[in-house]
Amino acid sequence: MARSTPTYTPVRNYAIGFFLSVILLFSDISYGTFTPLRGYVNASTLYAQMISSEILENISNIFHSFKKNRSLLNENKELKEQIFKIRTKEFIERKNSEVKIEIINFQKDLMSSFYNNDIDIYKIASVDLRNYLCCSTHRIFLQNINNVSAEKNIPVYAGGSFVGQTKDSYLGFTEVILLSDTSHVLPIKSNSFYCDARGKGKPMLISCMLDQNNENVKIQIGDAVYTSGLGGIFFKNVEIGFVSAINTVSINGIEVLITLKTNPLEETYYGMISKETDEI
Amino acid sequence: MKFSNHLIIFSTIFLGFWLDNSLNPLTINFFLELNFGFLIFSYWVFAMPEKLQSSAALFYGLVIDLFFSNAIGFNMLFFVATSYVIHLYVFRFRIFSYFQLAVFFSGSSTFYIACKYLLLSPYNYSYVILLFSFLVNAVLWVAIYIIMRTFRRSIFSNL
Repeated sequence: MARSTPTYTPVRNYAIGFFLSVILLFSDISYGTFTPLRGYVNASTLYAQMISSEILENISNIFHSFKKNRSLLNENKELKEQIFKIRTKEFIERKNSEVKIEIINFQKDLMSSFYNNDIDIYKIASVDLRNYLCCSTHRIFLQNINNVSAEKNIPVYAGGSFVGQTKDSYLGFTEVILLSDTSHVLPIKSNSFYCDARGKGKPMLISCMLDQNNENVKIQIGDAVYTSGLGGIFFKNVEIGFVSAINTVSINGIEVLITLKTNPLEETYYGMISKETDEI
Repeated sequence: MKFSNHLIIFSTIFLGFWLDNSLNPLTINFFLELNFGFLIFSYWVFAMPEKLQSSAALFYGLVIDLFFSNAIGFNMLFFVATSYVIHLYVFRFRIFSYFQLAVFFSGSSTFYIACKYLLLSPYNYSYVILLFSFLVNAVLWVAIYIIMRTFRRSIFSNL
């Protein structure tokens, strides 16, 4: 009786497949070789979803068109969307105004040309929920209502605070890396410390490591945390969250956990400025 | 095997991964990661080893990677490796009981999940998730085995 069972494919083919996969996996994990390809596939999938949902919506609209309150419902929906847009726009304009006032002191003649028309409102197209709730990669895709594609590394606002920054654009969709993504680093400050906070890979959580022996560092749970503006991307002094836990990780080191103010899952509209800003 | 047959098999695997994609955001709150896609792929190789060879595993893995993975090559690697192991021991598996099969395939699926976390999301690696997933995927395997066998017999009666 044979000790081993016959195989249908020579080992050589499996070995080639195995090594090919390993090479592709290594190059993608280490160098992000296929990130643009994945981005385009994601964008194409989103288009397919949008088209199919639009078709379904149209069909359901036909059925509902006989109802008397249809126009009222639509009006209500539009008004709600307008309110969301205005709220997001208002926040950005307020932050812009603060920046503007400081600029006036130095360069009055530049005031009239500062950003007034560069605020873009984006609607969320997709949240990568699978990874957002379990894993390190926290990304969302935004769709520009005015069909304007965003530049890379532009801060993204929602719900009265920052949620992340743009990463890339694929077929009209803008990929946003959220603050809680493990590859995102945000320079932050509180009353007594500055640090670079890295995403924890968990919803709405970022953290930074501090030296426990530093006497100037006095942190309490609940302390508000602000952007420091040191990275050159985000405005400074915008509240982004609060200290939710302080963990000792080594003899000298502590990990400060910060819970973010804005939950990306609850936001529909996101705002960003088309141009990059100079730090003030 | 005809291209249309490959398409049917791939559709079921794709559906499995789509189910994982839709359900895992809910189940992860209970420390549970379902693995329909991988189990369905394993079933097809187990049921039709002479039809699904290394090239099919590689291609299925590539397409699944493009749509569902965060790194190209991950599913390719696991599909090829799983396919090889199943090919090697397919006749021994045929004399296994349901329980033994469930343990083996659920174990493979748990190994897949563990590697996924270690390679792509090490901060979220958790033994609790692996333990719960092992138990639930063992039960899932039996269900998938029965459903897919019925499906295979109705669709591929000539194969």
